[in-house]
Amino acid sequence: MATIKLRQVEKRFGEFQAVKPMDLTIDSGEFVVFLGPSGCGKTTTLRMISGLESVSTGDIFLDNRKVTWLRPSDRDIAFVFQFFALYPHMTARQNIAFPLQAEGESKDEIDRRIKEVVDLLQIGHLLNFRPGKLSGGDKQRVALARALVRRPAAFLMDEPLGALDADFRESMRAEIKRLHLDLKATTVYVTHDQIEAMAMSDRIVVMSNAEVQQVGTPAQVYYDPANLFVARFIGSPGMNLITSQYGDGVVRLPGSNRYAVAPDWRMALGEGLDSDDVIMGFRPEAAHIKPDGTLVGEVYASELYGAYTMLHVELEGNEIIHIRSDRQMRYPIGSKVRFDLDPEMVRFFNPKTEMAIN
Amino acid sequence: MSTVIKSQTDVAKVRSAQPNPRRDLSDKAIRNIFIFPTLVLLIAINVFPLVYSLYLSFTNYSAIANKQPVWVGFENFGRVLSDERMWEIFSTTGQYVLFSVALQLILGFALAMLVRDKFFGSGLVTTLILVPMMLSPVVVGLFWKLMYNPTFGYVNYLLGFSNPSLAPDWLASRWAGDPTPGLALWAVIIVDVWMWTPFVMLLILSGLKAIPDYLYEAAAIDRASAWFQFWRITLPQVTPLMMIAILFRTIEAFNKSFDLVMGMTGGGPGTQTEVVAVTLYKQAFQGQWQTGRASALAYMVLIIIIAISNLYIRNLNRMKEGA
Ligand SMILES: Nc1ncnc2c1ncn2[C@@H]1O[C@H](COP(=O)(O)OP(=O)(O)O)[C@@H](O)[C@H]1O
Ligand SMILES: [Mg+2]
Repeated sequence: MATIKLRQVEKRFGEFQAVKPMDLTIDSGEFVVFLGPSGCGKTTTLRMISGLESVSTGDIFLDNRKVTWLRPSDRDIAFVFQFFALYPHMTARQNIAFPLQAEGESKDEIDRRIKEVVDLLQIGHLLNFRPGKLSGGDKQRVALARALVRRPAAFLMDEPLGALDADFRESMRAEIKRLHLDLKATTVYVTHDQIEAMAMSDRIVVMSNAEVQQVGTPAQVYYDPANLFVARFIGSPGMNLITSQYGDGVVRLPGSNRYAVAPDWRMALGEGLDSDDVIMGFRPEAAHIKPDGTLVGEVYASELYGAYTMLHVELEGNEIIHIRSDRQMRYPIGSKVRFDLDPEMVRFFNPKTEMAIN
Repeated sequence: MSTVIKSQTDVAKVRSAQPNPRRDLSDKAIRNIFIFPTLVLLIAINVFPLVYSLYLSFTNYSAIANKQPVWVGFENFGRVLSDERMWEIFSTTGQYVLFSVALQLILGFALAMLVRDKFFGSGLVTTLILVPMMLSPVVVGLFWKLMYNPTFGYVNYLLGFSNPSLAPDWLASRWAGDPTPGLALWAVIIVDVWMWTPFVMLLILSGLKAIPDYLYEAAAIDRASAWFQFWRITLPQVTPLMMIAILFRTIEAFNKSFDLVMGMTGGGPGTQTEVVAVTLYKQAFQGQWQTGRASALAYMVLIIIIAISNLYIRNLNRMKEGA
């Protein structure tokens, strides 16, 4: 299996910068997800790694071998396309055999290798159909088989589940994850669905506006977002972010709410801020409602999510935040709630640079 | 309003029930008025001659003899089938169709591959390639006749023959004065290819352009060589359009070869370039004006064409079912 390394890789389409210079190292056997809103350059980056798109500047290394200007066929990678890209005039079997035939494998070897992936993906019953007769999920299975059968050094997948029905996506997600655990192949997986990213990845590369925003484990991007974009983008709803003032160890929220900062944060805040302005952030589950809580707000709306209730709470100064509360509790609209914050889960951002303070 | 409007048709009914000063005619009447003249013309020009000639093919009718047609049963068909000259003519026609369609296909495909990718001036080149197709076959025949002329023609000049007595006389099937059978037929085939390759190119080009890029991207990822991609993706993907090109060209080569051959050789020398369309013309309008017999021959050609078309179309459908 292979490592993938990008060094200052950039892509411009004419004047337009689709991917700003980016550095990234992906370890052998790692499952890395590119996550970001549509149009942020995920596909373009993946296509540059595969060689389907040339880089404007920078270098790409596979297993420490510079492949920047090699053709896709010389890079030993497989690509699973968003819309499957199966050969429509061939049966599923012929589609899977295609890469082996292109390499001139013997017929026996082809039969053996096809049987291997067919057993792995359990698609024996699909082999004699053409793509036009297959459902979306089956098409994707065949496309996966075509990628797997070659035993490439790395897999690149561009929103492979994007074209599937929601309920189907979940089972395919598990299937791909299981395949990865079986094969331990280096995989780069593109999606705009953060649940997919959280569920599958070893590391997430959060992208926005043609730029890498943060690289980290799912827990890191969730609990320690590097900047305001990641804080808002990850989680649904995203992190509560309240523009406040800071001084003498106390965060003054709009209105009369005050939050005493834990002692170990004071130094960092002193260094990280260039004025009194600060943005305080916390996840909905970081707030605990209790009668003697130091912070207060008014219930604005309440949504039952099944396992829990998501309260929309209006603080003084018209700030609306989300608080995750027990399913059993009922909070009438307009009633006052008091809550405390788990000090471990409170984060601060510099409003000018939008970067996290730590 | 007391009526309950349930559907579009109800709306239409309600509307047409109301008096409309601008429209005294119903939609149906207008439709019929538009269709009627076309229908009459079609029947007069297409359907009636078709049926009437079928009847004539069973009679001894001659268009210049002032006699009523007499029913002779299958005599005309028997005569056509037993006429030895007929087999020679059908063989000439077969060669003509086979070689000209095959060459058009190969050259058309090659040209389509060349102009498939955009390059500087590719639009202009494509348009220029299409010019021959837009000319009248008779005009094409006449000016190629000039180009083939052994004394002052351009063809021999380009081939490097300076002495007319040593050069080929294409349309007379002679090479340096010696009879060279087949030369005239090839001369006509070359012109047909020159004229209709652009058409085949155009069809194949549209097929090529319809192949989605992602198939080639997938193939590049699958490490297929350019050659492998051509055989396994390009060719199968344009085959349906190629079949349509073959179908069109085959039918046309049977019938429309007439214009070109008449313009260039009139079927000569001897009967070397006499394709069945020319025979038909000769039987029907020259010499004895054997209208009945020509009709029988025409119907046999029709049956052959329908049979061939059927084969093609069945093949085409089989391919489409898979896709
Ligand atoms: N071939 C191209 N030519 C010009 N612009 C392109 C091309 N491919 C992508 N782009 C632009 O680059 C940006 C990033 O595209 P893409 O990588 O497909 O985004 P994503 O996959 O994250 O949705 C988009 O704004 C897109 O319009
Ligand atoms: Mg994309």
